[in-house]
Amino acid sequence: MSGRTFRESDTVDFVIVGSGAAGGVVARELAQRGLTVVVLEQGPRIAPQARMHDELKDWYLGGITNDVVKNPQTFRNAADKDAELQKFKPALWYGRAVGGGSLHYTANFWRLHEIDFVERSALGAIPGTGFADWPITYADLEPYYTKVEWEIGVSGLAGASPFDPPRTRPYPMPPLPVKSSGVLFERGARKLGLHPFPAPMAINSQPYRGRASCVHCGFCHGLPCEVLAKASTLTTVIPEAEATGRCEVRAESYVCRIEVSKQGRVTGVSYFDRERRERLQRARAVVVSANGAETPRLLLMSASSQFPDGLANSSGLVGKYLMFNCVSRAVGVFEHELNEYKSVQVTRVLHDFYDSDPKRGFYGGGGLDARLGPQPTTWAIRTATEGPAWGSAFKERLKEFPRTMQVAAHCTSLAVESNNITLDPNLKDAWGLPAIRVTYKDHPDDLSTARFLQDRGAEVLEAAGALRVTKAPVTEQTSSVHLLGTCRMGNQPKTSVIDRFHRSHDVPNLFICDGSSLVTSGRGQPTMTIQALAFRAGEHIAAFARRGEI
Amino acid sequence: MDSANLSRRSLLQAIAAVMATATAPVGWAQVALAFDQAHAAHGSGERRLSWLKETEAADIEAVAAQIIPTDDSPGAQEAGVVYFIDRALGTFFSQLASDYRAQLAVFRAGYLARYPTARSFASLTSEQQVELLKRVDHTPFFTTTHLLTLLGMFTLPVYGGNRDNVGWKLIGFEDTHAFYPPFGYYDRDYPGFIESARIK
Repeated sequence: MSGRTFRESDTVDFVIVGSGAAGGVVARELAQRGLTVVVLEQGPRIAPQARMHDELKDWYLGGITNDVVKNPQTFRNAADKDAELQKFKPALWYGRAVGGGSLHYTANFWRLHEIDFVERSALGAIPGTGFADWPITYADLEPYYTKVEWEIGVSGLAGASPFDPPRTRPYPMPPLPVKSSGVLFERGARKLGLHPFPAPMAINSQPYRGRASCVHCGFCHGLPCEVLAKASTLTTVIPEAEATGRCEVRAESYVCRIEVSKQGRVTGVSYFDRERRERLQRARAVVVSANGAETPRLLLMSASSQFPDGLANSSGLVGKYLMFNCVSRAVGVFEHELNEYKSVQVTRVLHDFYDSDPKRGFYGGGGLDARLGPQPTTWAIRTATEGPAWGSAFKERLKEFPRTMQVAAHCTSLAVESNNITLDPNLKDAWGLPAIRVTYKDHPDDLSTARFLQDRGAEVLEAAGALRVTKAPVTEQTSSVHLLGTCRMGNQPKTSVIDRFHRSHDVPNLFICDGSSLVTSGRGQPTMTIQALAFRAGEHIAAFARRGEI
Repeated sequence: MDSANLSRRSLLQAIAAVMATATAPVGWAQVALAFDQAHAAHGSGERRLSWLKETEAADIEAVAAQIIPTDDSPGAQEAGVVYFIDRALGTFFSQLASDYRAQLAVFRAGYLARYPTARSFASLTSEQQVELLKRVDHTPFFTTTHLLTLLGMFTLPVYGGNRDNVGWKLIGFEDTHAFYPPFGYYDRDYPGFIESARIK
C-alpha cells in the first residue's frame, strides 16, 4: 500500500503539510509528474473498513478529528472579549487522520458558479468587509472541476439545474437513488415554480475506479465510509501517489515550524513524530495544505527574526477573513415515514436563490437541500433544543425521527477582517504549541441571508404537505467545519497571501493550497472547489519545479 | 440477541450484494469482524459502577429517568444510561468529571434543603422530582446530566447504555448496516427525475 520511504537526510522535492482534500491531490499531481514528495499528516492512518457507525466516537470524542483535550481551542466573538476554552466541542473542526476532512465530510460536491469569482465587480464594494474578486475565473477552474468529478468520482446529472455553470463533460456516474426527503422537496419546490435537481455527491452510485457503490448505510455525515463508496483522498489519490514510488505519507507527524534560510527561502519543516521527538525533513519547496485553521496557525508559529509577524505574512492577512458559510434550517414533520437515516444525506438541491439580489436589501445567496441531518444521538440533542427538553413530551417528540426532514440552507459568509485565527497567548496544546484562538461573528448580511433562505425552505416544506414546519432560530455561529479564506489568493501582495498559482507572495518556494485560499465563501460545500484548486495548483507547481522556479 | 443476529444477517446480505456488483470489493471481511466484535462486547450488559459512588449513581439514574421516562416503552433506566455515564466520567469524558461531581453535590444540597429527610432524589415522589427539576433545569448539573443521558440512550451499546438497542427502537432507527431503495413511504414508485418533472 505505502510507497517509498525517504530518510530525513534526503532533501526531497516537496514536503506537503496535510493529507486532506487538497494535500492528497497535490501529492498525487506532483508525484505523477516525477517529483519526490513527503506528506506529513498530524493524525494516524486508519483503515476505514475497520470502523463502525460510532457516532459517539466520531462526533463527540474527536475520533478522526481534532479533539478538545489534545488540541484545545478558545473562542470569542469580538477582539475585546476574553476567549473561552471550548470544553466539549472544538470551535473549528477538521479531519485529523490521513485523508483529513475528506474522511468525514458529507460529500456535497457543487461547483461554484461563474458569479462567485467576480461578484465584487458585479455588486460593488461592501463597506467594512474584504469582499473581493478572485484572481482566477470560473473558466480557469472548469477543467479542474471536471477533473475532480472524474478522478475523485462524483455522481450527478448534468443539465438538471438551469443555474448550473457551463461544463465540458457530464458526470461520470448517475445520481444516487432519491430519498423520501428528495421526493417531497421536489414536490414542494415545483409547486412554487422552483428548480430542484439531483444532488452532485462524491459518493459512488455504481462501482467506480475500483471502489464499491454506496450501500446506503446512512453514516456519511461526520464519519468515514467503510465500503469506500464516499471518496476520500485516503482511498483515491493517495494510493495513486504512493504507487508512483516517489511519495511517502508519514502519519502522526505533527508539523510545528517551517524552516527558513538566511536568504528567506524555505528549507524544510520541523515536526513531532509519534513519540513526540522533534524531527526535520528537508525539502526544495513546501506546500501547506493543513486546512483553513492549521495553515495560518503554522505560518504564525513559524515567525522568526526575518519574518517577525509570521511566515508569508507581510500583508498581515494570514489568519484573517475567516469564513464559515452561514447556515439555517427549516424542519418538517410528515404523516408517513421518510426514514431519512438511511442512505446519503442529500439527494435533491436547488439553486434558485444562489445569486445575491440587491432587492432583498442585503448581500448574499445560497443553496437549499433536503436532508435529515443528524444521526440518532445528535437527533436527540438537537430535538431538545427545539421544544420540550425532557419528560414525556420530549420522549414523544423523539419518536418523530423517521417522519422528519429538514431543508438546510447553505449561505455566503462575507470576508471580515475581525473574523480570524490567532495564536492563543496563554493556552498550549498537548505538544506545548500555542492553541488556536478563534474570533468570529457572522456579518449581519450573512444572518439575513440565512433567515431569508430558511423562510424559502419552510415554504417548500409547507408546499410539500408537511404536518408541521418549524424554524430553528438563526443565531451567530460559534463552531464550523468550513474553514475558509485565511490565506487568501490575490494579485496584490498587500491584500493577499498567495498569488493565482498558490505561491506565497513573500517566499518563492512556499505554496499554500486548501480552504484558506478561497477569496469568497461560495455558498457552502467548499471541498469540491478546494480539490479543483488543488488539481490546478499541483499542475502549476510541478511545472515551476521542472523549470527550476522553486 | 435478535437484533444483533438480524444485523449480522443483513450485513452478510449486503456483503453478498456488493461482491456481486463491485469490481474490487474492499474490506468487507474487516467490517463484518468489527460488527461481530461490537455485538459480542455489548451482550454482557454489565451492571457495575467503576467511577460513581452508589449514592451518586442513584441520584443520576433518577434524574435520567425523568429526562426520558419509562412509560409503555423503555426509558433511560432500562437503557442503562447511568452505566454509560459512569464509564464516560471515568474514561472518555474524564475532563468533565471533577466539575460534575461538585455540581452533583450542589444539586444534592438543594433537594436536601427542601426535603431534609429524603434519603435520595430517587426516594422522592415523581411529582416532587419533576417540581424540583423544573427549578434546576438550567444548572450545569442538569445540563451535563441531560447531555450524558442522551448520549447514553442513543449511542452504540458498546459504551454501556442503549441496552438491547432500546434507544434506537424508541425512535424507530433500524440497526442495519445496509439499505436499499425505497427507503421510505414517499420514494416508493418514484418515476425518475425527468419523468417526475413532466408529471409535475
